[in-house]
Order: sequence, then structure tokens, then C-alpha cells
Amino acid sequence: MKELVEYIAKSLVDYPEKVDVTQVEGERSVILELRVAQEDMGKVIGKQGRIAKAIRTVVNAAAIKENKRVMVEIIQ
Amino acid sequence: MTSVEVSAKTVEEALSEAIKMLGVKRDNVEVEIINEPSQGFFKLLGGRPAKIKVSILKKPSVYIRDSIKKIVHIIGIDGEVNISKEDEENIFLEIKGEKLGLLIGKHGSTLNDLQYLANVILHRQFESVRQRVIIDIENYRQKRKRTLEHLAQNLAFKALRLKKEINLEPMTPNERRIIHLALKGNRDVVTYSKGDEPFRKVIIAPK
Repeated sequence: MKELVEYIAKSLVDYPEKVDVTQVEGERSVILELRVAQEDMGKVIGKQGRIAKAIRTVVNAAAIKENKRVMVEIIQ
Repeated sequence: MTSVEVSAKTVEEALSEAIKMLGVKRDNVEVEIINEPSQGFFKLLGGRPAKIKVSILKKPSVYIRDSIKKIVHIIGIDGEVNISKEDEENIFLEIKGEKLGLLIGKHGSTLNDLQYLANVILHRQFESVRQRVIIDIENYRQKRKRTLEHLAQNLAFKALRLKKEINLEPMTPNERRIIHLALKGNRDVVTYSKGDEPFRKVIIAPK
């Protein structure tokens, strides 16, 4: 799932080399922390969070497959 | 335009100029150096600029097909992604395989978000591309259209019977359009949309 967030984020930003995803494992849930260059924040969030929402939906599909709960957090 | 030749003081400068001209991201091009820049002797004889040829690696439709294929595979789904049709306005992608319900989601929500991402990715990578990506899975869009048309007829009937406005669930612009069109010829009801995206919904009201 980390790979998924990384791949999508890299496809969206101007500075793919600055995309970083950290996976924090909880007992039944996983938190994926996405960091991008400051200039790219808007590119992964989108107007009214539309892009962030779409990333979360797609990652959720992967999570359902692995029977897990996943949260994607975009870190400033 | 699939390739350009550019001269500039350095290869780096020529490359950024070229990708600007092509309207693509650096990952999508191949660079061929025609001339390395040279300084000239003590700058007396004048240097020679760098000259490069920059070509787009993949057609936009092939790029986005591969990109979606990659996403589907990382999710862990064994599916095929094909370009089923391409014209000036649209690139149609078709995902085939088994157990694709996961990728469709409730009322197509996952499919719609995947399609939205595909469009954003395509337009970020190829700034000059105006085509839209439409993704379908096992004819889901056609089936959903029929379902919505049925729903529209049933709810129009209900609105008349109860003499009340009927609120539908929030839908995408495309889905709302299907409802409006389905009832366009109906003389007993009117339809309109209310609310802000993404919660905008259709109302069916008796005349």
C-alpha cells in the first residue's frame, strides 16, 4: 500500500524525488504518512481535497483486499 | 509534436526548454545529445552551444494505460487494461479480469475516483493533452446507465403518486445527466439539481 501511495503521488507532483511515504503499523490499522515538497502540497490535495479523497478511495480498495484499515495522512 | 531539437548554453538548459515546448514531464522523454557545449579557446573563438533532440517516449494514451495498469497491479488485482477506443476527445480504457467489484466500489465510487486520478495524472504529465480518460470495468458504465434510467422512471412515478418531490442520492455530473435525459420527455415531472459537488443531487418534482 505504501508503494501505491508513492506511485500515485510521484505521478502527480513536480518534484517526484521529494515524495516520501512512511508506513506506521497499528494493531488493526495502518497509517501512511505522505510527504511532498512544499510547492507540491496543492498537487496531491487538489481543490477542496478532491485529489486527496481520490487517493484515499483507491488506497482503500487495496486495504479491503488485505483486510486492513488504512489512513492516508498528508503531512505538512 | 513528438520531438524537438533545441540549442542552449548547457544541456540542462536545453532540456528544460524542450520539455516546456513539448508540455511533458521529464520522465516521459528521451534525450539525444547532438552537440556537447564547448567553451572555445579562452572564450576568444566563441563557444559552441549544446544541441539536443528530445523525444516523447510514449503516446499519452499508452502512458495512462500503463499507469492505470501499474496501479491495478499494485492494488493486487490480476487484471488487463486496454485502450478500447481513442478519439480527439476521449481515451477509453477497459479493465478486464476477475473480482473487479472491489475496483468499482459502491455505485462506482472507486471506479469514478480512479478515473478522476487518471485524468489528473494524464494532464499533469502531458500539459498539452486535452483528451479525457474514461475508464470502464466489465461494461459497468453501460449497466449503471440502465439502472439509473430505470430508477428515474420508478421515482418519477413515485413523485406523481405521492405528489411530492423526490430527492435522489448525490451523483456525479455524468450520472445526473443520465437522470435528466431519462425524464426529459416526461410531461408530468420536472428534474433539477441541488447542492454543491460532490453532494449535488437530482430532484424529481411533479409538475
